[in-house]
Amino acid sequence: MKRFRTLTGLAWISPWLLGFACFTMLPLAMGLWYSFTDWTLLEPAIPIGMDNYERLLGDEVVHIATWNTLLYLVISIPLLTIASIAMAVLLSKPARFQAFWRVAVFAPSVLPLVALATIFKLMYDAELGAMNKGLSFVGIDGPNWFGTEAWAMTAIILMNLWVVGPAMVIYLAALRDVPRDLNEAASLDGVSWWGRLVNVTLPMISPVILFNVIIGFINAAQVFVVPYIMTAGGPNRGTYFWSMYVYDAAFKYGDMGYASTLGVVQFAAILLLTLGLLLVGRRYVYYRGGMT
Amino acid sequence: MVPAGQYHAVMPDQLGRTVSIVVLCLAAAVAIGYVTFGPRPGASGHGDRIVLNYWEKWTGTEAQAMQQVVDAFNASQDRIHVNYLTMSSIDEKAMLAIAGGAPPDVLGLWSFNLPFYAQANAILPLDLPGIKAETYAPAVRPLVFDGDTQLAGVNTCSSVALYVNLSHLDRAGLDYRNGGPPRTLEQFDAMIPYLTIYDADGNVEQAGFLHMDPGWWHWCWPGYFGGQLYDVETDAATIDSPENIAAFTWFQEGQRRYGLDRLRRFQSAPTDSPSPYRNFLSGRLSMTIQGPWLARVIAERAPDLKWAAWPLPGPAGEPGAPAGPIECDILVVPQGAPHPEEAMEFIAFTQRQDMVELVSVLHAKPSPLMEVSSEFYFNHLNTSIAAHEAILHSPNGFGTPPVATWPEMNAALDAGIDRIWNGNEDVATVLADVQAEVSAQLERARVRRERRGQERYGAGP
Repeated sequence: MKRFRTLTGLAWISPWLLGFACFTMLPLAMGLWYSFTDWTLLEPAIPIGMDNYERLLGDEVVHIATWNTLLYLVISIPLLTIASIAMAVLLSKPARFQAFWRVAVFAPSVLPLVALATIFKLMYDAELGAMNKGLSFVGIDGPNWFGTEAWAMTAIILMNLWVVGPAMVIYLAALRDVPRDLNEAASLDGVSWWGRLVNVTLPMISPVILFNVIIGFINAAQVFVVPYIMTAGGPNRGTYFWSMYVYDAAFKYGDMGYASTLGVVQFAAILLLTLGLLLVGRRYVYYRGGMT
Repeated sequence: MVPAGQYHAVMPDQLGRTVSIVVLCLAAAVAIGYVTFGPRPGASGHGDRIVLNYWEKWTGTEAQAMQQVVDAFNASQDRIHVNYLTMSSIDEKAMLAIAGGAPPDVLGLWSFNLPFYAQANAILPLDLPGIKAETYAPAVRPLVFDGDTQLAGVNTCSSVALYVNLSHLDRAGLDYRNGGPPRTLEQFDAMIPYLTIYDADGNVEQAGFLHMDPGWWHWCWPGYFGGQLYDVETDAATIDSPENIAAFTWFQEGQRRYGLDRLRRFQSAPTDSPSPYRNFLSGRLSMTIQGPWLARVIAERAPDLKWAAWPLPGPAGEPGAPAGPIECDILVVPQGAPHPEEAMEFIAFTQRQDMVELVSVLHAKPSPLMEVSSEFYFNHLNTSIAAHEAILHSPNGFGTPPVATWPEMNAALDAGIDRIWNGNEDVATVLADVQAEVSAQLERARVRRERRGQERYGAGP
């Protein structure tokens, strides 16, 4: 009977097991193997040991892509976290048309990124775009968003804030779970709104913050669609990210072995940094009932 | 009603078993249905004919033009049927299809794709009866032949020329009727201020010429100065040669003539036509470099525009032998194609003079062949086709460097051009950086060939 149960269970999840094996584990293993080869995709792969990894260390384009990706991570993750928590706190307060505001904030997340990037590209137009038109109303002469590396990066980071919806929804749910008596006790003790937010609410939702930061980090480390459409990596590779180099190396330059190396390093970096975030989380995240 | 405790006991024994059996039966039914009624190899709906799959990159009017050739071939015999599929990103899809062992029979690529595919032995040499290198215009030959081996047929070919708004020249008092087109770069540069108009606020209302409009052929500027990006003989990058420094200095002066802020405002201004041709078609740009298809676009969108096309002058060009970039749309048979002989038969058909001229006329392009019929000119949509032909038949016409690493080389060049144009950096310094990057790419390509014991593409006789 127990064996039958096990077999039935395996049969039920077999499509996912098969999918995981064929479309995740196998490509991962093959990617790792190809990272040690010279492979143009059109010819048989030739093992070349660590050559691709050595090349990676001295590759100026890798240095640029690494710097851009790190810069994007360091700026966009905190901004996204702050913005989504702020939106969640605002939208958790009783207000008229509350459901409408929540839908309005979440709605951009439903749009395909390609469409969003295309719309934002038009909005960032230096002369006709809504961004600079809006800035001109408050007396600011808007920049040429895609004219310099710094402004192009800023444009992409700001666009990323537009999709705070998914994180915001999770924070909203977490905020409902914060024990009301704690806030009331703090309030009776004369703690201000800000003090209650920092000392009660945020610690209570810290596991959710960690979760969102990790998910946001994994997504941001693989940023591709938005810069690919908005700037194509320019100007002067100022918005050229790691994932774009993986794609170009594989499909534009026909250098699949090197692209695999870039992919493996990206995977390892994301894995290590995620583990690092979890370790940091152990110290700063408060788990009600303790960590399991 | 089953009590809760008993329900849990019943679930695995009966319900679980029943559901599992139903799911397995359903899966088996789907499998049997697929095997019984699913697609059959060879069930093409074309009788006993061999079906060739032909992938092409064109869409719209250009795709329809090629459809006529395909239809003519299908009607010309009863052994082969060509199944014509148009698609985007064809070079990437082709790469995956060849690697996956399921390529089409015929592939329509760009000439700059050829070195990569040829270097990887991913395409078959062609044996086309009656076709030899001399069949094609001189500048076309190196784009489809490697030494004596033909690797591709030519669908259409285009050279890039200077398109001029004649009404602007008339208004500026530039007498092109008696004086003819500019013969030197100095003459050309001298025309630009006459054609540039500023409004009261100092904004550019009408630009004489913009190097970055449309910005599709950054790699071409050295060719007008007698420079090249790559030396075929030595397999070395020549990005920072004096000719190239002169070419890109001239390019940078094109930006300084107006200033970045003015250019930004000019390029952002609204026009009726949101297309890459918008400034020229709307009369805001007097001169632009473009391919011959612009004639078709003008006929469709701005039929009242008075225009002509001339070769862009440069130190390398001379009357009768102008300089200019050349690109071809090519046909290849990929390695592993199911019907290579029939594919070559089809390509040979497309190389017939009447077929080449049919597509070229509909695309408003020059013929890539040496022999051209008088009807070709009679029917041609591009009234300045002679300018494009002159470049195509000129010893100073040039294509992209014949290297497998061209896309990577072009990316390095584009990044350098961004610095020259937007950053106002010293041209020689930027080109030295690009030279170092491209040299490293070529060195890696050399090592790759050595690993595989390959000859370099383009190094043949």
